[in-house]
Amino acid sequence: MSSHPTTPGARAHTYDAIVVGSGISGGWAAKELCEAGLRTLVLERGRDVQHLRDYPTALANPWDLPHRGRLPRALAQANPIARKCYAFDEATEHFFAKDAEHPYVQEKPFDWIRGYQVGGKSLIWARQTQRWSHHDFEGPARDGFAEWPLTYDELAPWYSHVERFVGISGNRDGVEGLPDGEFLPAWEMNDAERSMAGRIEGAFPGRRVVQGRCAHLTEARPEHLAQGRGKCQSRNLCYRGCPFGGYFSSNSSTLPWAARTGNLTVRPGSVVESILHDDATGRASGVRVIDAATKAVTEYFAKVIFVNAACLNTNLILLNSKSRRYPAGLGNDHGLLGRHVAFHNYRGSLNASLEGFADSYYSGRRPTQPMMPNFRNVTRQETDFQRGYMVFFSAARRGWTRGQGAPGIGAAYKEELTRPGPWGVYMMMQGETIPRFENHVRLSADQRDPWGIPQLVTSIGYTENDERMIRDFLAQGRAMLEAAGARDIRATDDRRNPGLDIHEMGGARMGRDPRTSLLNRWNQFHTCPNVFVTDGACMASTGVQNPSLTFMALTARAARHAVDELRKGSL
Amino acid sequence: MNRRTLLRHAAQLAAAAALGSLPQRGWAALPRPAGWSASEEALLDAIGDTILPATPGSPGAGSVAIGRFILLMTADCHPPAAADAVRRLLAEVTTRAQAAGARPFPELPAAERESLLVALERQPPPARDGVAPWRHVKDLTLLGYFTAEAGATQALRYDPVPGAYRGSVPLRPGDRAWAT
Repeated sequence: MSSHPTTPGARAHTYDAIVVGSGISGGWAAKELCEAGLRTLVLERGRDVQHLRDYPTALANPWDLPHRGRLPRALAQANPIARKCYAFDEATEHFFAKDAEHPYVQEKPFDWIRGYQVGGKSLIWARQTQRWSHHDFEGPARDGFAEWPLTYDELAPWYSHVERFVGISGNRDGVEGLPDGEFLPAWEMNDAERSMAGRIEGAFPGRRVVQGRCAHLTEARPEHLAQGRGKCQSRNLCYRGCPFGGYFSSNSSTLPWAARTGNLTVRPGSVVESILHDDATGRASGVRVIDAATKAVTEYFAKVIFVNAACLNTNLILLNSKSRRYPAGLGNDHGLLGRHVAFHNYRGSLNASLEGFADSYYSGRRPTQPMMPNFRNVTRQETDFQRGYMVFFSAARRGWTRGQGAPGIGAAYKEELTRPGPWGVYMMMQGETIPRFENHVRLSADQRDPWGIPQLVTSIGYTENDERMIRDFLAQGRAMLEAAGARDIRATDDRRNPGLDIHEMGGARMGRDPRTSLLNRWNQFHTCPNVFVTDGACMASTGVQNPSLTFMALTARAARHAVDELRKGSL
Repeated sequence: MNRRTLLRHAAQLAAAAALGSLPQRGWAALPRPAGWSASEEALLDAIGDTILPATPGSPGAGSVAIGRFILLMTADCHPPAAADAVRRLLAEVTTRAQAAGARPFPELPAAERESLLVALERQPPPARDGVAPWRHVKDLTLLGYFTAEAGATQALRYDPVPGAYRGSVPLRPGDRAWAT
């Protein structure tokens, strides 16, 4: 199993660093490593997607799309999983992996949403970015299910580092449980939302409503202009790729920045089969790649390897990285690789109507919404479930779709539909789930994918803790909407499968103790220190926040550590 | 990036857009799906134009090739039962028009077309295989009209590049809703 860079022909395949995956965390690894002077190879299993050139629908008007954005039946039927994603439509489907081409085994239902192209899911992410607080890092140990090996204070400067480059809009709200960052100007609330925020805060002392924080340039500062990015134009067509560079993606930001150093090589169409372990040195020597088109096998070698294939594919690659030293997968001496997978609980939501504000409207399309930092079990256990949830809500005037299913024919009906409708309110939860040993992924013993790689088996489900959290959110949401003056409140548990949150985390969790975790405080394998995992797979718990900002901060911090260790000669 | 560079990028992008974009004349230039006649399409145009007629400042749904749109969407995006639903609705409208005045629906005066459809909406043909004929055609009429260029830019307001979001804008009498 051991391959070594001294084998004939290997020199041309040898780099200083290899990054597996070009999504939001892989892009950051590439940027930091290239800037530090390391010749870096980024391996991406999907096709190339170049900023601007490869956004075919970015400027399409609704009437330019053959089905006005709706999915043709053949596409929908061929993608029963991908089509469940809210962002999958006629204008964006080319940025989603197709179900039939990339099979996996659902031992328990899991909607695995994937973006196989250069840039990965950074092209189609939801772009909401909040820091974790010290409560989120300390809570899992308090509650006895995980122990983070680093503190908020250690990560804070790295949050700042990535926030300045990415460009994060937000207010400095001074909320202890949701630390402020390096912010560009915040998006505005509309009149209805401002009223609701005031009434909720008045009725529920201690709860805060703040404007969402997101990776959109409300102002293009010199560091963004230098990336070739401009101000967000409030089009809200982000999932098609942004020709203005208004939101952050690997394609618009980190990858071109890394390329400018002259140290970057990106190789699309490269399916990483495994990481090669050199049993003689106790280090990884490189990776084995299967060409996506020709299925030719190639090996690449480097001193340091970052695995950023996105949570579950990172788990798959690590589990498939078998050697004499690691017969059960890289670093997997204790059988914990692939275990403790968690996700975010989005099942609860509420709809309501809101009277008044008849003379108030808004203009432009906003890429974020008001949110409420977690108010459950923040400093101590208070409820019949563990951990907590963030709340998002928004208010908007209904559009012409209110005419669908409503009676009416003729000029008066049409004229009414051309005016802004009554206000509607939508509220949703983003709940923490607890990583459990039972919730896991593993390699199929008999099923293989088209590249001959074992398929991933997903065995991930909800628990009674999640059910209790949903009930609490739906009750609290109703109470808050009533306090805000909303009417016709309808609460829903959509019973969606895990995975559709697209916030899967864990499987190669960080920790202080090598007996209970795989990665140390620098995201290095405890036992194979030249391999770093800095995507969702490294997470020991999920927090309530949208996770990508934390992945980016962890990646930048780990990359700096890798460079420092290389310079010291200890990798 | 300065504004000129941005615009150049946008222009390059537009030029490169390999989007399966529609021919210059839009929906009307696409072929009618197999199995449908010109008179069936014309009947759908008339039904659509009765649901959403021309009003001051904006044309009716009949002027945005709504019949072609409904047939194409039915063929491409809906289950096979939807085509049957459209046929049943067309038959129902034809029957009611004959009962009303022995003239084809498209040739009836606007007021008669409207009252016929008002009555039909109260007692529509029943749903079959999960598709309700009236609801199917009416929903596609709204979708096709308000996402067509005329509907979006004349009946509604459309701003492809707003530039910013303003959260508090006074709504004046006559202000139309945003198309997107």
